[in-house]
Amino acid sequence: MIEKMDTLLQRICVDGRLAKLAVSETGFIFDPQTGQSFTLNQTGLLALDLLKRGNSLEMTAQYMSDEYEVTMDVASSSLEAFLYQLGRYL
Amino acid sequence: MGMEPRIVQDWRRWNVAVTGVNAHVESPGPGCAVARCLRECADFKGTVIGLGYDVLDAGLYARDYCHGGYLVPYPSAGKEVLLERILQIHEIERLDAIIPCLDAEIQNFIAIKGELARLGIRMLLPNRMQFLLRAKDHLGAFCQSVDVLAPESRTITNPAFFETCEAEGWEYPFVVKGIFYDAGIAHTAAEARLIFNRLVNTWGYPVLVQKLIRGDEFNLSAIGDGKGGLHGAVMMRKRGLTEKGKAWAGVTVVDKDILEMASKLVKGLSWCGPLEVEVMKGHDGKIYLIEINPRFPAWIYLSHAAGRNLPVALIRTLAGETDLQLPEARSGTFFIRYAQEIIVELPQFESMMIDGGIPSVETLLNAS
Repeated sequence: MIEKMDTLLQRICVDGRLAKLAVSETGFIFDPQTGQSFTLNQTGLLALDLLKRGNSLEMTAQYMSDEYEVTMDVASSSLEAFLYQLGRYL
Repeated sequence: MGMEPRIVQDWRRWNVAVTGVNAHVESPGPGCAVARCLRECADFKGTVIGLGYDVLDAGLYARDYCHGGYLVPYPSAGKEVLLERILQIHEIERLDAIIPCLDAEIQNFIAIKGELARLGIRMLLPNRMQFLLRAKDHLGAFCQSVDVLAPESRTITNPAFFETCEAEGWEYPFVVKGIFYDAGIAHTAAEARLIFNRLVNTWGYPVLVQKLIRGDEFNLSAIGDGKGGLHGAVMMRKRGLTEKGKAWAGVTVVDKDILEMASKLVKGLSWCGPLEVEVMKGHDGKIYLIEINPRFPAWIYLSHAAGRNLPVALIRTLAGETDLQLPEARSGTFFIRYAQEIIVELPQFESMMIDGGIPSVETLLNAS
């Protein structure tokens, strides 16, 4: 699963796009390249923040598993769903 | 014609005339936005004169944007009549520069550029060849020559094409475009004929058909230096469209692929003057050129809001500045267009109808 997610993440991160996203603590996100804006809930915001800081998918899933007290499997599949969603906006 | 040239070096004190000051809600001319950019530049202490084609062009009376306003003859009247009228206005307002803002008038202004320059009136315009190369009916060939993608287009003069087009690989829907302005998406032959007739009645022949690209619309405005360089690019993604497909809302973006395409086009044309590059980012991920407009766009006020006031950059260029040092345009600056009424008192309207203009207060004060 992590391998598939890595490909997804690589696509989203092309040309540093993830790093360039303007992120507000309210969950409002603006993509300066496409002009697209969208909102994230607190869980999505945390995942995006971790990924933007350069954490690997495994580290991000692990952090979320600890934070929300869910199994690593649940955290990983949630992260995968999140990345798919995010990819639709970038 | 015995007028002495007026040479004022400091652009901050210039009298600048701006055309295209109509403000129709559906499709406003760029003139009011250009004038607003000049007026809201803190350094600019000169006057802005609106030049309109119709007594109902709002910019003629909008004192927040234009200090004065004058009617000019329609482009179809030709260059001699335009020159004569500009000279009349110059006698009153002592113009230093003109910023033409409508496609249909640019060729006339190109033709009289030399005469106006001799009087000290400056304009930053392409030459006739550059202007024609980017015209809708030559755009496809030009794009091929500079390796830029453009949707397949075809010039047509006979609407019978709409009955046979599918056999020639032109499946509906596709875009039907006027030679200067206006376009519509045709889903059937009947719809295509209606759009065709409307465009011919308004803009004349020929009409263009263009294959429809589905995706997101982006526009870029900048200034070409005439030597292949592009300066001051500001990019915008359309966020809301009118029925005519014009942006009524948009947001500044920074996209290096669009900038690269525009740079290629400006270099290929050695474009001189302001321009707008309209592109479509297709769902296939590719960028297609839709049009190159030979002027600032109606959304140009966004350039001022994003920190890169392009009309001011243009007059600084006309004043001979070569190192403009423009700040980066901020991404994430939105505009939302709205309509507002300007109140015009009867004497003002009468002046416009009878005298063809209302001088700027500055001119009236100097005269008294």
